[in-house]
Amino acid sequence: MSVLELKNISKNYGAIQALNGVSLTVEPGEVVGLMGDNGAGKSTLVKVIAGNFAPSSGEVLISGQTVNFHKPLDAQRAGIEVVYQDLAICNNLSAASNVFLGREPTRQFGPFQIVDYKHMQNRAVELFARLKSETRPRDLVKRMSGGQRQAVAIARALLTDARIVLMDEPTAAISVRQVAEVLNLIRQLSEQGIAVVLISHRMPDVFEVADKVIVLRRGQLVASKNASDSSPEEVTGLITGAIEAA
Amino acid sequence: MHKKDLGLAILIIAVGTVVYLRNPLFLSPINLGNTANLIGLFGLFAIGQGFVIMTGGIDLSVGSVIALLGVVFVDMVGKFGVPWPLAVLIIILLGAIIGLGHGLLITRFKMQPFVVTLCGLLIYRGIARGYTAESTAGFPFGASFPDLEWLTIGRSFGVPHSFVAMIVVAIVMWMVLHQSVFGRHLYAVGKNEEAARFSGIRTDAVTISAYVICSVLAAIAAIYFAMFTKSVQPSSHGNFYELYAIAAAVLGGFSLRGGEGSIIGVVLGAVLLQELQNLVNLLGIPSSLNFAVMGTVILLGVMADQQFSAFRARKSAAQAMNLLQKDEARM
Repeated sequence: MSVLELKNISKNYGAIQALNGVSLTVEPGEVVGLMGDNGAGKSTLVKVIAGNFAPSSGEVLISGQTVNFHKPLDAQRAGIEVVYQDLAICNNLSAASNVFLGREPTRQFGPFQIVDYKHMQNRAVELFARLKSETRPRDLVKRMSGGQRQAVAIARALLTDARIVLMDEPTAAISVRQVAEVLNLIRQLSEQGIAVVLISHRMPDVFEVADKVIVLRRGQLVASKNASDSSPEEVTGLITGAIEAA
Repeated sequence: MHKKDLGLAILIIAVGTVVYLRNPLFLSPINLGNTANLIGLFGLFAIGQGFVIMTGGIDLSVGSVIALLGVVFVDMVGKFGVPWPLAVLIIILLGAIIGLGHGLLITRFKMQPFVVTLCGLLIYRGIARGYTAESTAGFPFGASFPDLEWLTIGRSFGVPHSFVAMIVVAIVMWMVLHQSVFGRHLYAVGKNEEAARFSGIRTDAVTISAYVICSVLAAIAAIYFAMFTKSVQPSSHGNFYELYAIAAAVLGGFSLRGGEGSIIGVVLGAVLLQELQNLVNLLGIPSSLNFAVMGTVILLGVMADQQFSAFRARKSAAQAMNLLQKDEARM
């Protein structure tokens, strides 16, 4: 069963049609590359899935169940995590603190609830091991490479046992070496049965990890096909409109 | 203990040693007791200021809050005969309301902390002066409140209770800042509010709480100052105190950009400030130069600290590059 299914999703802001009848499915463990030019509707689509706002019409199904997200927390509870590009990380905190930010584990200390640092460290070590990342939980994030920072952001997703991880431009603005690291992280997620929706402008990155590519143009889905049946040239054509649909 | 805190502690000991060598009275029980009292009084509200600075904000109204609530407290207890425990509660409640007001204006109305609390500084001072018609508020002749006096200006084994109160507050606030979930969120909000919000933290509530903590501690300090001076002169009581608090926090390693600092740091900052005041007195430096000495030391301290951190950052960057190069050579 598809972990995520969109049926005829439309979204309009007044007279502007941002999404027009988009339907797609994402299977467990599948890596989907979501592509399109600026203004094609990628972020609108992601925001609909992440519960930032409801679609004007259409249906969102999670594991076959229709859902109505009213706020991002609803989506998070349903197993959808968004990895924002650098946004959701605090430089002054350790990797472990960042992983647990907003959901810190506590323990009883006399009459007080105090943060359970030990549990945080141990869980973080586990999560980084699952991601095969060398990130050390005690290190401050500000001293980390772009790849390690992504590992921290992705570990947050693992913490809640997410089933779908949405990644917004995870490979923008980092070095080639770190891109490889991030792509590895994506593969790790996929191997654990977590579906990844990768929004990216970087064609080579998408084709390196994605099982499926989805192309949006002016709010419409113009292609949804296996990455192995497509090519960067074709996708470029689809994005720009040189190729009508595939 | 952080490296920064350790550096500050060493500085305090070094300055103390120099002062002692020049004037052995520095370590006399009377001098230590008096200095501890001042450290307690100033430390109380400096800790609160630390919380606000942690959010990247600033509270300029502290001195005026101390004057206004001091006047109100003295009048309540001295003039209207309100039982002092009730008066203490009312003062703390008033402090909480003031902090809540600041917090709401800053978060809901998106006003800048500097502007909000600067207006607070003017308003509270003005109310204090207007309410008393510029006359000094004091206790009636011969009035005495033994329990209240024991709590505020009493001493146990030579240790002033204001100092004890400050230590107790520091321990509680240490728990809050370094051990509680709220503390984690405070660090996050101070450094990257957007990230904190994306993580599901109610950032507005965290910020408002910081201002409430600051004003409540200022209210407690107001009671201690009022009892210490026994009379409150509304136009001068607590003048510049907000700057002492900010100076203590900055000396203690707080960044005015938010997200950095520790309770131990701000307490040590308050200690150093009072030590410098004491130095001016003991070494026979004209007391008119008081502020100049303080300003110079803070300036040098912060400058040295930044130079050291830049040096450390360069060193660790060089180390990382070395590792990376070795790594690459192996591949």
